Amino acid sequence: MSSGWRWRDLPSGVKFCGRKFSRKKSGTAMVRVKARYLLCELNVSDRTQLLLLDDRAVLAAVKTAVARIHGDYGAALCSMRFSIKYLNAHTGIVFLRFLRRAYKLLWSALPFITSIDARGHKIPCFLNCLHVGGTIRTCQKFLVRYNTQQLHRMLPKCRNEEEKQEVRKAILNCSLTKGNNEEFHIESESEEDEEAQS
Amino acid sequence: MSVFVDLNLSYTADNNRLRALIETAAHLGFSTVAINYVFEPTTKKKQEIPAPKPISALIDHLPIVQGRSRPITVLNRLTVVMSDSSHFRPNAAEYRGFDLLAVYPTTEKLFHSACMLLDIDIIVISVTEKLPFFFKRAPVNGAVDRGVVFEVCYSAAIRDSTMRRYTIANALSLMETCKGKSVILSSAAEKALELRGPYDVINLGRLFGLSDADAKEALSSTCRSVLLHAETRKTASGIVYTRRSCQEDSPQPDLCDAPAAKRPHLAE
Repeated sequence: MSSGWRWRDLPSGVKFCGRKFSRKKSGTAMVRVKARYLLCELNVSDRTQLLLLDDRAVLAAVKTAVARIHGDYGAALCSMRFSIKYLNAHTGIVFLRFLRRAYKLLWSALPFITSIDARGHKIPCFLNCLHVGGTIRTCQKFLVRYNTQQLHRMLPKCRNEEEKQEVRKAILNCSLTKGNNEEFHIESESEEDEEAQS
Repeated sequence: MSVFVDLNLSYTADNNRLRALIETAAHLGFSTVAINYVFEPTTKKKQEIPAPKPISALIDHLPIVQGRSRPITVLNRLTVVMSDSSHFRPNAAEYRGFDLLAVYPTTEKLFHSACMLLDIDIIVISVTEKLPFFFKRAPVNGAVDRGVVFEVCYSAAIRDSTMRRYTIANALSLMETCKGKSVILSSAAEKALELRGPYDVINLGRLFGLSDADAKEALSSTCRSVLLHAETRKTASGIVYTRRSCQEDSPQPDLCDAPAAKRPHLAE
């Protein structure tokens, strides 16, 4: 990069890092805007409180924590491209999207979250980061694997044979094969979760 | 994926809370935890060193660690709060029941002796007050050479804003001296909700002035070396380890836990 190297010096259609770059007329390369997705798990002492959560509450909690730890600079970084992509209130799984440049700084504020205000209730909880991914897809793959693992952990805790059969069936169902089926799988796992909890 | 260790879970008399702590630690993926008993001697009257409860009495069924098929390992650890040099009694019989031995020195002189002389595994760095002394390079290097490690606890930082400032300031000044090596990060959690996941703690190490690799070591390989160091404390020069084999007519089982190599009459 030292000797005045520029993107537009590359011939059109050159492969770089395994990805083909096409060029617009203006001469700038098309590069996707990159982000980091944090797959976090909300741990609470009382599982029924999870159902009170919505994504706005989590968003507000993260923003407050970042502002408390990193001040105005952190709050500014946290307002850029930050969003909650997915929240599963049954299993307590949250996808956070951060600016890739600053995700480590913002992540370092997450351990200081001790409670989330949701619908007038203060829910004591903490966020446990499970996976950091560059795309939602890698996070989703990880989540399917992780949830399968949770089902395996649940298996010895089942009380009767019926529950065991249910969990076994759910484990066999866990796969990421067709494009739109994952949503269904994740949902079905969460239902199992609830059953074993209750 | 490496093996994560948390060497400080505060002991509480409440069994249920302790069980919740251990279960949460297993869920988060810690393979080994240590229950910390704090002993704070005062100058006036003589106090009893707390005896460790056997793990089987605390929890009957150890939970399986997340991502592994093995149950969690639970150890006992004693922290002696030292405000005078007489507070730590080397070779005290009460210390032998604990797997790990830590001191919390409150003055510079005691810190120096803890680094250079005392037969311990962990030196606890204060996180609840402004550092009463500076870390000098000589004792810190001496401690690193002897295999004694420094511990920074993060749960005080989670509880309170003032404590957070002290924790970060003290940790940064320690890292300046020891350059991120032979430091462990542990929770000192009293409640299950004060624990944090291992990857969060590694990233939290950035606030304490650790690089990513050093922070990961602070949770895994340095902790392992502490455990090995603690094991060699029970042996003679780390080479010979004696144990009484179980005989049918063993008269006094108390003698078993004092290894023969360490008994005073053999030292001459």
